[in-house]
Amino acid sequence: MSEGKTIIQVEDLAKHYGEVKAVDGVSFSVQEGETFGLLGPNGAGKTTLMEILCGLRRFDNGRVTVCDFDLTKNPYRVKASIGFCPQETLLYDLLSVRENLAFSASLYSLDRKKFKERVEFSSKVLGVGEFLNKKVEKLSGGMKRRANLAASIIHDPPIIILDEPTVGFDPTIKREFWELIKNLKANGKTVLLSTHDMYEADEICERVAIMEKGKIAALDNPHVLKKTIGGGPSLLVKVKESQQDKACRLLEKYDCTVVDSEIRVSATNPWKMMTEVSEMLASQGVYADRIEIVEPTLEDVFIKLSGRKLTEEEANR
Amino acid sequence: MNSIIGIAVKDTKTFFRERGTVFWTIAFPVLIMLLFTAIFGREIPFNANIGIVNEDGQTQITESVLSGLSSTGFLTLRNFSDAAEAMRELNATNVRAVLTLPQGFTQSLFLQNASVSLIIDGSNLDVARLIEDGIKTFFREYYKTFHNQTYNETYVEPIVVNAETSFVGEKKGYKENIVPGMLCYPLLFSSMVVSTGAIVYEREKGTLKKIRASPIRPINVLFGKTLAALFQTTISIFIMVVLAILLLSPKLNWDFTLLVPIMFLGSMNGIALGLIVSCIGRSPQEASNAATTVAIVLQFFIGMYFPIDYLPEFMQQLGRIIPMTYAAQAIRDIMVRNATLGNIALPLATLTISTIILYGIGILLYKRWVEK
Repeated sequence: MSEGKTIIQVEDLAKHYGEVKAVDGVSFSVQEGETFGLLGPNGAGKTTLMEILCGLRRFDNGRVTVCDFDLTKNPYRVKASIGFCPQETLLYDLLSVRENLAFSASLYSLDRKKFKERVEFSSKVLGVGEFLNKKVEKLSGGMKRRANLAASIIHDPPIIILDEPTVGFDPTIKREFWELIKNLKANGKTVLLSTHDMYEADEICERVAIMEKGKIAALDNPHVLKKTIGGGPSLLVKVKESQQDKACRLLEKYDCTVVDSEIRVSATNPWKMMTEVSEMLASQGVYADRIEIVEPTLEDVFIKLSGRKLTEEEANR
Repeated sequence: MNSIIGIAVKDTKTFFRERGTVFWTIAFPVLIMLLFTAIFGREIPFNANIGIVNEDGQTQITESVLSGLSSTGFLTLRNFSDAAEAMRELNATNVRAVLTLPQGFTQSLFLQNASVSLIIDGSNLDVARLIEDGIKTFFREYYKTFHNQTYNETYVEPIVVNAETSFVGEKKGYKENIVPGMLCYPLLFSSMVVSTGAIVYEREKGTLKKIRASPIRPINVLFGKTLAALFQTTISIFIMVVLAILLLSPKLNWDFTLLVPIMFLGSMNGIALGLIVSCIGRSPQEASNAATTVAIVLQFFIGMYFPIDYLPEFMQQLGRIIPMTYAAQAIRDIMVRNATLGNIALPLATLTISTIILYGIGILLYKRWVEK
């Protein structure tokens, strides 16, 4: 974690939609220059929380301070300090990228000189220079997302909030985007992003808050979370669906969890245990398709906390 | 200010890139203008087919009557050999009226007890009245001439009504009366339709989120949208004024120092009304339908086509509380009656106050919506 001053402070934040508690007593802080992730499935309250921070939604209880400005008392100061990049591309298709950037700049009252500087920055760091004069409707998906990010941070805000920035991207573009975020961090920006992609959170976040049902279930460095909550390495056993119940009964004596069609067995000595489990299953007529040793991931952390998986398929269901 | 202009510039650029929108923005005033020119641009705006049944035969008198009727210019005569055939044509609406010169008409004229029969199609009372008044006037004038020539003395009517129509400046015709009403079209339709799309389009597309996440205040968003809508409305007004002058050449008082402030305030009223509809509408389609309905209903209340005195009393009262009525009246007063700044002070004040009130409502609705 970066050692800096607190730039975002959220205390006991709550937002209800009737009986539904979208955000339920959430507290956390983000340090200046840090990349902070909100990890959780859809409906966990990540987007609501981010939209509250950006002044797009009212909240029912709690306190939010951004760059020392209280969100309730100084909403416009807070908004000026944040560059918000939502999931959807918020650009005008009939305008060129430059025109879209100019419009965004006007919303923050940027002068010409500053605008020129920021366009140069966006060209260099976000790579929008090659399609600056193209109409948005002519751009590819990846270009649109880069232009969208450039428009969101045209005013050079100290904080960048990204809501599911890589959802729907193919792995190559996703990696490119991670590099862009790292570049922004290298330029001194504080990044708060939401994701339900554990690899993304692991790859780029210094700290991660795992959200479930509007609450923060755990918050720490990904490495620490994996070590303290995810446990040590485990065996991943994959059997045919018809034999899954039998395999589960046989493995009951071990500390195991079943998620979808995979059986995870806690192992203190994984190499020794792999042979033992394999032989025991085979002796009972259960033949594993695959047995492998896996290191804990943030997904394991989530499974331990919620008892369910955090895959994109799960989240999108 | 930068952000207000930014929104206006963005909206204007988007407008010019949407070719269909540009086309219809220009086509609307052009079509309305061409339509009105075709209908009201002629010197004689009315002509009716009249069936003639001449039972008196061809005499010098009947010939001169029929030739006189023909030369009035507003009647086209069709001769029928008998009344039954003429009535069939009347019932089939092929002629507007049937005029019968009865047997002995010529003789009875000399005896000063002549009469003719006029049966008029009553399906359109205005047209029926025009035909009746026109033919009565013709026979009165015809008898004067006949009397003067036959008896060699001047015919004196028992009571003479010296009627004349008063005009400020030059004599005004149909087109002079219709042009001020036509100029209200863009104030009502263009301004409302353009501004209605403003907020609801951004909301539908999701781009309103970007605007709301920025430090721009709600009132500035509305001002930016207003500037762009005002620009587009001005295009419509400009086209309409140019076409009115070119196609109709109306003899009107084009005092732009008075017309511009009235049209500006009228447009602002329409735009504010559109923004209110925009904040209420949940989809562009719903907002567009609402704006069109409101504009179509309002056009009957504000005196665009006819004076609001023609309306039933309760509708007149309603018309008087609609700000656009004052804009329509002021435009007519300036152009037809050469009104001065003093004469239009009340409409100017009313429109200014209503603009402020409507914008107040618009801002409240917008804020209420964004803070949900």
